[in-house]
Amino acid sequence: MNETTTVLDPTGERHPVERQRLPRPASLDGMTIGLLDISKPRGDVFLDHFEERLVAQGLRVERFRKPTFTKPAPIDLRHEISTRCDVVIEALAD
Amino acid sequence: MSTLRHQGVAEGGWWQHRRRGSATLRGVSLTDLPDGFVAVVKRDCPTCTLVAPLLVDLTDVLGRGPDSFTVVSQDDPSFPDHLASIVDDSDLDLSYRLGIETVPTLLRIEQGVETARIVGWSRDQWRELTGLDDLGEGMPDHRPGCGSLTLDPTRADELAVRFRGSSLRSRRVELAALEDEMEALFDRGWTDGLPVVPPTPVRVLRMLEGTDRAPDDIVTIVPPDLVECSVEKIAVNAVMAGCRPEYLPVVLAAVEAACTDEFNMHGLLATTYFSGPVVMVNGPITTAIGMNSGVNALGQGNRANATIGRALQLTIRNVGGGRPGGIDRATLGNPGKYTFCFAEDEAGSPWVPMSVERGFAVDQSTVTLFAGEGPRGIVDQLSRDPESLSRSLAAGLRSVAHPKLALAFDAVLVVSPEHARVFREAGWDRARLRQELDEILTLDGDEIARGAGGITEGMPESLRGVTVPKFRDGGLLIIHAGGGAGLFSSVIGGWMSGRGGSQPTTWPIS
Amino acid sequence: MHDIADLEGRGVPGVFLASTEFIDAAQAQADAIGFQPARVFVPHPIQDRTDDEMRQLADDAVAEVIAALTSAG
Repeated sequence: MNETTTVLDPTGERHPVERQRLPRPASLDGMTIGLLDISKPRGDVFLDHFEERLVAQGLRVERFRKPTFTKPAPIDLRHEISTRCDVVIEALAD
Repeated sequence: MSTLRHQGVAEGGWWQHRRRGSATLRGVSLTDLPDGFVAVVKRDCPTCTLVAPLLVDLTDVLGRGPDSFTVVSQDDPSFPDHLASIVDDSDLDLSYRLGIETVPTLLRIEQGVETARIVGWSRDQWRELTGLDDLGEGMPDHRPGCGSLTLDPTRADELAVRFRGSSLRSRRVELAALEDEMEALFDRGWTDGLPVVPPTPVRVLRMLEGTDRAPDDIVTIVPPDLVECSVEKIAVNAVMAGCRPEYLPVVLAAVEAACTDEFNMHGLLATTYFSGPVVMVNGPITTAIGMNSGVNALGQGNRANATIGRALQLTIRNVGGGRPGGIDRATLGNPGKYTFCFAEDEAGSPWVPMSVERGFAVDQSTVTLFAGEGPRGIVDQLSRDPESLSRSLAAGLRSVAHPKLALAFDAVLVVSPEHARVFREAGWDRARLRQELDEILTLDGDEIARGAGGITEGMPESLRGVTVPKFRDGGLLIIHAGGGAGLFSSVIGGWMSGRGGSQPTTWPIS
Repeated sequence: MHDIADLEGRGVPGVFLASTEFIDAAQAQADAIGFQPARVFVPHPIQDRTDDEMRQLADDAVAEVIAALTSAG
C-alpha cells in the first residue's frame, strides 16, 4: 500500500473535501434500475427475487453480470450500465 | 562586536528570500538557553574538529564564572569528545530556531537574547567575544566552517514542514492510499484537463519563498463565488501549474489585475465569447525569470510563459469556482484558455515598452491583462514602406470580431521584429504607427451599416453617412515580440470593451 | 465498491449490497479509494442459505435499498 499523500486544497473551500455521492432522484418511478451481479455463488438467487420485487412495483430493471468478483467490472460493462441505467445496485458480496 | 556572515549554500537568486523569510518566521525565544555562550557544532566538520579541544577548555574556564558555555551538537551527542554535557540537537530543532547556517557558530546570549554571533573559526574574533586573550594559541588564524545540517537538502524539507507547515492555512486533503496521486487531482476537478503537480505542503512552502508577502495576505476577491484569495491559495495553484518560486510575483500581479472591476473577470468568465485572460509581461523580471519574448513567443516550450498563464487560470477556476459548463458558457472558447502568457521583446523593439506607454517606469515590471481570443496571423512579405505595411496590418485588424463591427471590441497587435524593422527604418514610433492605423481604420458608416454588402450584421443604420473608428480610444494595444525571422505579425482580438466588458489592465509586479 | 465508485463517476447513483461479514472490509475499501458509497448489509451467512431463505433476505432488503437510491430515503 502506498503511504497517504497530503496536498493542500487549491479551491475556495466552499465544498466538502471528501468525494461526495451523487444526488439521488426523488423516486425511482420511470427509472431504469441496473442490477449488477458480482458473480459470487447464490447471488443470482438473491438478485432474481430482488428483480421480481422491483418489477412488481412497476419499476424497470436491467440485469448485468461481471465475469468475476475478484476484479473490477470490465470497462465495456461499466460503460453499458452507465448508458442504459439511471441507478445501479451491485450485489452480493460476502 | 563584529560578526562574520558566511555566504551559506546558494540555491539560486531566491535564496535571499529564504534567509529573510526564515529569520522573521522563527521569532526565536532563547529563554531555554542559559546566559553565556553557545557553540553549535557537528562531528562531520574539519573546523569543528579543529576547535573541539577549545570547546572543552572554554566549558571548563567559562563554566567557573557566571557565564555558562553550552555546546550543541547536530549529529553526534558524544562530540566533542571528553565533554561531559552536550546538548543533543539531532532533531535540529534548536539549530533551526537559531538560524544556524554554518558550523561551528559561536553565539553570545545575554538575558535570553542573542547579542553576538561568530560564524566559523577566527582566533581574533573568538578571543574578542570570549574575552580570553590567549584562546587558540598555536591554532590557525581562521578557518571557514561547514554547512549546518539544517541546510542539508535531505533534511531541509522535513524541517520546513515541521516549523513552517503550521503557517499554511489551506485545508489539508488526504489522498487515499489506493488513489493514484495524479488521478486523485483529476477526480477532484482541480485540473484544466491536463495533469497538475500535486500541491504538497513542502512544494507550497518552497513556492512561498518566491515572495516576501505573508501567506495569509489577501490578494483579491475571485469571482464568481467572490472568495477571498490569499497569497497561499495562489501559491498552491502555482505549484499545480508547474511554476518555479521566482514566477510567483508575476502570478500574484496577474491574479490581482484579473480580479479588478476594470478587467471584469466575472464578465469574462460568464460570456459565450471566445476570450480568456492574456498576460503580457514587461520589465526586468522577464529576463530575470527567463520568459520568452522571441522565437515562438506565443507558443509552447518556455516554462515561465506556460506556467504563469496556467497558474492564473487554475487560480481563477479553483478559488473562484468558475468552470466550463458552470459559469463558463463559452461557445467555442480558445486554446489560450489553457495558458496565454508572453513577454514583450523590449531589447529589440524600436519603441518604448508597452508598459511605459501605459504610464509605468521602464524599470517597473508589469503585467498587462487583456481579454483575448486566439491569435490570428497577418502575412506581409513584400511591403518595404511603413504606409503599405500599415495597410496590411490594418486589413488584419479590420476583421476583429467582424469587419462591419466597430468600437465594441479591442485588439492587441503583436508586431514581429522583421515588421518592426520597417517602422524603425522609417523612424515611426508607436504613436506614429497608431495614428496611421487609426486613419486607415476609420470606417465608412455606409459600408458597415446593417445590411450593407448583403450582410445583415453590422453597425446601426443611424451611422450611415458618418465615419466610425474601428477601435475606441485606447482600444488598440501594440506590442513587440517574436523571432527574428518571419515577415508576420499577429492580431489578438478582444472581448467587448466598455461598461459590462473588459478593459486592458496593467498592474505592477512587486 | 470500486465498481460503484466508477459508476457514480459516470453519473449513475449506486448502492452496494453485502453480507454483514463484509462491514469492516467495505469500510476499509471505501477509505482506501477515498469514496464512501451507499451500502446495505444483509445478515450473514449467505452461502449455506436455502433458496427460500435467500429470497427472504432479498425481501427484507428492498426497502432499505430503495431508500439508499432515492433522496426521500
